[in-house]
Amino acid sequence: MSIQNETLKAMIRDYDGLELSDEELELVRTELETYFGELAKLESVDLSDMFSGRLTRLPEPDRS
Amino acid sequence: MRNLDFLKMTISELAPKIRNKEISPGEQTEAALTEADRLQPKLNSLITLLHEQAMAQARESETALSRGDYRGPLHGIPIGLKDNLATAGITTTVGSKVLANHVPDEDAEVVIRCRDAGAIFIGKENLEEFAAGATSNNPHYGAVHNPGGVDRVPGGSRGGGGANVASGVTFASLGTDLGGSVRLPGTFCGVVGLKQTYGRVSQRGLMVTSFNGDHIGPMTRSVADSALLLQVLAGNDPLDPSSVPVPVPDYSSYLGKGLKGLKMGVPSNHFFDLLDEEVEAAVRGSVAALEELGAELLEVSLPAMEYIGAMRISAMADGVVTHEQFLKNHREAYGPDVLYRTIPGQFVLGKDYSKSLKVQRMIQEEYLRVMHQVDFLVTPTAPVPAPRIDATHVNINGEDHRVRGPGSGFISRNTSPLNAVGLPAISVPCGVNHAGLPIGVQFITAPFEEGLLFQVADSYVKTSPSQRLRPEVSV
Repeated sequence: MSIQNETLKAMIRDYDGLELSDEELELVRTELETYFGELAKLESVDLSDMFSGRLTRLPEPDRS
Repeated sequence: MRNLDFLKMTISELAPKIRNKEISPGEQTEAALTEADRLQPKLNSLITLLHEQAMAQARESETALSRGDYRGPLHGIPIGLKDNLATAGITTTVGSKVLANHVPDEDAEVVIRCRDAGAIFIGKENLEEFAAGATSNNPHYGAVHNPGGVDRVPGGSRGGGGANVASGVTFASLGTDLGGSVRLPGTFCGVVGLKQTYGRVSQRGLMVTSFNGDHIGPMTRSVADSALLLQVLAGNDPLDPSSVPVPVPDYSSYLGKGLKGLKMGVPSNHFFDLLDEEVEAAVRGSVAALEELGAELLEVSLPAMEYIGAMRISAMADGVVTHEQFLKNHREAYGPDVLYRTIPGQFVLGKDYSKSLKVQRMIQEEYLRVMHQVDFLVTPTAPVPAPRIDATHVNINGEDHRVRGPGSGFISRNTSPLNAVGLPAISVPCGVNHAGLPIGVQFITAPFEEGLLFQVADSYVKTSPSQRLRPEVSV
């Protein structure tokens, strides 16, 4: 996946109000590409039978 | 000149001398503060030194002793606090310029527990900006230097703590571990770093952290000291919903039990895939030593680790949410490494975040299945010894890997998976490379089996080539 520099700059400006230089944008892109790379690996994994492990419990009384 | 050898002792060695009044808390606190002043220009390991508060605590400690009120092995022991743990009335910067003048109203729960146990706080320790990185090369407070080689990083994010414990400024350090921030400085500085089970220790008062996977843990000079610290820190905190009400055993009772009859798992994938040759040799040597001590070796497979990188997706999104409150109005106050790693988090899609949580669950289940086959796992803690402070990359097998800033994560590739799954892990020294830089081995057990972790680590360190090795810092 690739996002044009101008699109990325505009999104960051709209979301954060930050104006980034081309040099700064390359650093942001490095991290974004890591994200896309990890996403690509997930294409082959079946997660349909994964269930949440979240526990719910009653609050405990304050120690004091 | 006075003999200050006691500054190199472990807590287990020193505590009886304090109890028997052979050494006074005031005497050793003063010595520790003097040592901190002496080494600070070289190591830059502290952001705030607490001369007055520490000496006041030491006086209270002596008064308590004189009336027979001995509070346990931490009584009168100088320790350090990572500067992302809230301390009432004391500046807590989280290594940032944004919070340079922030003074919390309340202590973190772990600070309260250590104070109640008699520990003396020497200072707030230097760290990576917002505790987000593995080098402790802080753009606002300066780089922390490794006492084993001052041109090297001490690891991060808690480098100040590692440098202080290794060099003899403090006897222990309390810090946080979101991806390896206790264990990596442990391995790079040649000390013991513990990340206990998620939920074992309260996180209340840990500042500017992720919603998913942070831990507060101790760094010490020995496994026995790690057990002493966890004994103080562990236990349910009703005010922290992540803390779990499970019984806390007597950790010291596990020390000296040996390894006979225990099954040791060595992962066949991921953990040994990308390693410096000397690190691999040292850790394979540890495995052989553990076999000689009576542990049965089994190779185990963790195929779901292929997808561990998905944890980065949730971490990116969690990171931008954590920083949202500061980012818009304080962009100029951010260093480049954290800023350009944080901004992309806003582009993580909800469906991808959800997937990463499912992957986390899948990997957790796999580890739990493996922990039914073996009693403990053995891995290298870090893939390389401490990189140079000015390094942006390290090279393994001809391939460059980033060690700081956007796209980094290589240094923590063996530690961060345990944050994702919440299992307890400890790093202990297992040798040095050709340049004398420490190497660490990591042990992992089933959830809430920290006692077994101490049993394994304690048995091993008695045969470790690193036993009693301490760096000497020339000033």
